[in-house]
Amino acid sequence: MSGRLKRNAGKLVAAGVIACGTAFALHGYGWIPLWVFAAVVVLAFPPAVLALFLWWMADVGEEDIPFIGY
Amino acid sequence: MITELVLATLFGLLLLGIHRKVIARIQRRPGPPVWQEILHAAKFSFKTSWVPATASGALFTGIVLVAIGIWTAAFFVLMTGGSLLVIFGIYMLHKIVEHGFGLSSGSPYGKYGGVRSVISAASEIPLFVGVAVIAFYTHSLDISAIIAYQEARGPLLLTAFPAATAMFLVLLSKMPFGPFSIVEAKELVSGYKTEHFGIWRAGLEVCNGLKTFVLLGTFLAVFIGPLTLPAIIVGMIVLIVLLAFSCALTPMLSPFDSVTIQTMVTGLVLVYAVIVLTVVRP
Repeated sequence: MSGRLKRNAGKLVAAGVIACGTAFALHGYGWIPLWVFAAVVVLAFPPAVLALFLWWMADVGEEDIPFIGY
Repeated sequence: MITELVLATLFGLLLLGIHRKVIARIQRRPGPPVWQEILHAAKFSFKTSWVPATASGALFTGIVLVAIGIWTAAFFVLMTGGSLLVIFGIYMLHKIVEHGFGLSSGSPYGKYGGVRSVISAASEIPLFVGVAVIAFYTHSLDISAIIAYQEARGPLLLTAFPAATAMFLVLLSKMPFGPFSIVEAKELVSGYKTEHFGIWRAGLEVCNGLKTFVLLGTFLAVFIGPLTLPAIIVGMIVLIVLLAFSCALTPMLSPFDSVTIQTMVTGLVLVYAVIVLTVVRP
């Protein structure tokens, strides 16, 4: 994976989080109805999740990141 | 609601871990730790990922987004007390998602898994009949109205027990290692998800966690009624243990037998629905 992929994935995560956060705030203030908030989250959450996985998996070097969670 | 979405996904994965643990203990194995499915999702998300040469790239990656997206929508419907029909529409969409997972990979194992997901659509017919019975009783298919009905008149689990049994069968058909889990049978390696590895499998795990939470939450809302948060958590754990017992004590059926038994159950629930319609609440 290249460094460019990691940067793009990071941007996508940020975009998804900002979209969900903005929709949450706008719905909280009553500026958008619930269904618009839900639609934004339904559209933004899945790519943000996958982009997050891509972001922390993609490395600028040659090697993979070992999983040491056990 | 976004925090709840993330917590629901993690709790759903934890429930799947409890499911595996209980099955293992019934079979006298130590089994994995209960947080194994969370570790699985994390592990896959760290793995190097690519799209196989035989796969349809757009479908292979896009179907993971669809899988998470539809269950995110179902989560919103459940949390806001929306229509039960929407949740069950999404449940049926998941069948198309499984099909898409299998067919997009180009692997014969994945394709067979995808085809089996279509023939296992028989598991959804008891669902329709169960929903009809609920509508007879409550005169509404909004989850909020169904909960309000049960608050006034008691749980539908008692008054419409056969419908609850049919819904339990629907849950069972979506559980891993169950008698109806023909889409991911071992002779197909991992069935429709065989070729989805790395972050794609991690995305599928997120979908599975969310799906488990939504389906168990829907069962509790529709058949038990209003519950506090601790009661919902306990209820979901009890349900997953019951499902694990069912999975551990029954062998996986052949595709033909799976469809036959689900069709027979549909017939029984249909008879029950006719009795409810004509005798109980004419």
